[in-house]
Amino acid sequence: MDRHRIARAGLAAGLVTCACLSPGLNARAADTSDVKTLQQELAVTQDELAKTKSELQETKDTLNALKQRVETLAAAAPAGPGLAPGTTARLAPVNADNPAISFVVDTTARSNTHGDGGSPLEGGNGFALRSGELFISAPIDPFLRGYATINGNTTQGFDIEEAAVVTTALPWNLTVKGGRYFADVGRLSHWHDEALPFVDRPPSLDRIIGGESRAEGIEVSWLAPTEQFIQITGGIYNSIGQQVGTELTNTFGVGSYSELTYLVHPTTYIDLTDTLNVEVGGTYFGVPKDHDRNLYGVDVTFRHQPGTSGFYQGTTLGIEWLWNNERFANQKPLFTASGAPLLTDPALPFDPETNPQVFGSRLNKVQGGYAYFESFFGRRFSAGLRVDYSEAPADIVNTSLLFIAPLSPNPEQIRTYSMFVTWMPSEFHRLRLQLDQIVARGQPDDQRITLQWTAFLGSHSHGFTTR
Amino acid sequence: MALRRVSATLAVLLLAIALPASAALRVVATFPDLADMTRQIGGERVDVVTIAEGNQDPHKVPVKPSFVTKLNRADAVVVMGLGLEHAFLPPLLEVARNAKIAPGESGYIDASLYVTPLEVPTSQNRTQGELHPLGNPHFNLDPVQGKLMARAIAEGLERVDPDGAQTYQNGLARYTALLDGKIAEWAKLAAPLRGVRAVSYHPDLIYLAERYGIELIGTIETKPGVPATPAHLEELIDAMKQHKTQLVVREVAYELPLAQTVAERTGARVVTISTLTGGLPGTDTYVDFVDANLRALVGALSTAGSP
Repeated sequence: MDRHRIARAGLAAGLVTCACLSPGLNARAADTSDVKTLQQELAVTQDELAKTKSELQETKDTLNALKQRVETLAAAAPAGPGLAPGTTARLAPVNADNPAISFVVDTTARSNTHGDGGSPLEGGNGFALRSGELFISAPIDPFLRGYATINGNTTQGFDIEEAAVVTTALPWNLTVKGGRYFADVGRLSHWHDEALPFVDRPPSLDRIIGGESRAEGIEVSWLAPTEQFIQITGGIYNSIGQQVGTELTNTFGVGSYSELTYLVHPTTYIDLTDTLNVEVGGTYFGVPKDHDRNLYGVDVTFRHQPGTSGFYQGTTLGIEWLWNNERFANQKPLFTASGAPLLTDPALPFDPETNPQVFGSRLNKVQGGYAYFESFFGRRFSAGLRVDYSEAPADIVNTSLLFIAPLSPNPEQIRTYSMFVTWMPSEFHRLRLQLDQIVARGQPDDQRITLQWTAFLGSHSHGFTTR
Repeated sequence: MALRRVSATLAVLLLAIALPASAALRVVATFPDLADMTRQIGGERVDVVTIAEGNQDPHKVPVKPSFVTKLNRADAVVVMGLGLEHAFLPPLLEVARNAKIAPGESGYIDASLYVTPLEVPTSQNRTQGELHPLGNPHFNLDPVQGKLMARAIAEGLERVDPDGAQTYQNGLARYTALLDGKIAEWAKLAAPLRGVRAVSYHPDLIYLAERYGIELIGTIETKPGVPATPAHLEELIDAMKQHKTQLVVREVAYELPLAQTVAERTGARVVTISTLTGGLPGTDTYVDFVDANLRALVGALSTAGSP
């Protein structure tokens, strides 16, 4: 901006104004040359004013453009602190050297009518660390993630429950899992204890599969590329759960491929309404050699998820049934309470190295399953009922209890009726009370009450599986 | 011959499965707010499905297998961000087998990208409740933040579908202009809220309160995500009386009776709002959602009694 030009323009404008406003003065200086001079001055001043106006407009435009640019730049820069240019998402910082770690403290206090040894199922009065579970997980590289579960408890000490790697970037909707993990059997067999909706695993799963479906092997899972959820899992393992004879096999797998355990587990899911859905799965696993084992299972889960803020928050109804045909070979002999061999059948073969008498080989057919429902109330409460029926060969089941049982063709049957109430003071803290009525043929009924107190240290989630 | 026919039929079936049903960009939005904005910006170029319902507690969205198939086939997932989806999205993405929408990948569109987070915890201590480490994720209640959300969504769509850049830019310009107009209207509408003292059920009002000058006195929850204890409620009621608190804001995903009890004890009025689009009747769009919330809050100041 030219200050002199503005001053001159101002002076001229002042003169013109004075000239216009003061007719008397104008009259007194009314000679022609003065008028001409003033007219010229006026024209120059008008020019100057026009130029100044134009320059002012230019300056205004420039200022506006600059203002707009500043606004654009300010808006373009990520507003939050610490976001590098090119960042497309705000993600929690992850240290590649530190995997996600959590620990579960799962304790129980229990009492039952007949104490330890007097119950067809696990009994005894007192306290127990049911599970102290260390869970570690992390992405390994762009193609693989890994996780491990190390579990310790009052009765069995520490053990690596799971140590597995899972692919994350295979084509054709495939994932492959390897290592030791809970095989994809049925619904609740591959859930960790602390994720179950009850204090204990359903007795039918414990007695037929042998607790969790723990396995070492390889598992391939395929998700159908359709709108309908269809997933098929297939796997090959040394064994699944506490398969009979597992303890007698070599520590490094089995003798031949036909002695491995093969699994297939298709599952699908249907939204019946906006708030009601059903999930259906079928399981088969078996050992081909001599048909040593063939297990068939079906599981159905209905969920009512109204997504409401009312007191009632939803219900889950779960049913699972298993049929197990399993050959018992080289089974250890049974003894009476006094230590005398229980088996006296001379037709049974002898094992010269270990025991004088063994069962030999026999195919046992058992079945069992459970049905339960759990309803959720007021954001932090749930309550439910469970009915369980299971069969197991009597002579196998009662070995540890020294229960004198003849080699009966009838399996031992146990029915369990349970009622459970859960309260979660927070997302990471849970108290559960469960009452069980245990009914076994030929034995007195047993009542059991268990209080479970579970806490989760760190970020704990077994992911989609335990939804 | 029969074998050939079977093979041909199978091939056709496989093709039918593999080929997309439409050429539109398949987008999964975690919340209805994001779905509405994505539709407004992308128009017919996007085919949007939503995971959560507007009346659901974002922390308790069920993990349904039907969401897995949607995510498996998606070209992009639009998330609110700041950890609001932590309870349901990570387990779904883990099994969705779709690497292009994994966090940090181009198909992962984070609506919080340009938002300046408030209440970023300085400590990750769980004695403070269930904190979101990246800050309070309920920024969508403030329509000015809504503009930033729209911008992040438009840029994300452009990143995934560069051919549609012009569509998304035009859509963003139109939507931003719409929001600008509404924001000016809402500023006048919400003027009576300035200086009003309120409590909410969950700490989700901070962005809205900062925008319209509401003074927040506390929450019915003891800590974020931790239910009210009797001792906490007594403290809250004392604080509300001391500060002459006018409103008890009950978010639609939380139960009404406790809010009513607190209001009755303090002489405050209960007002129900939603933290998500679609949470209240007639709020299918983000604009309707903001409008309904502000009208409810302002209305509660002039109407005696609870809703």
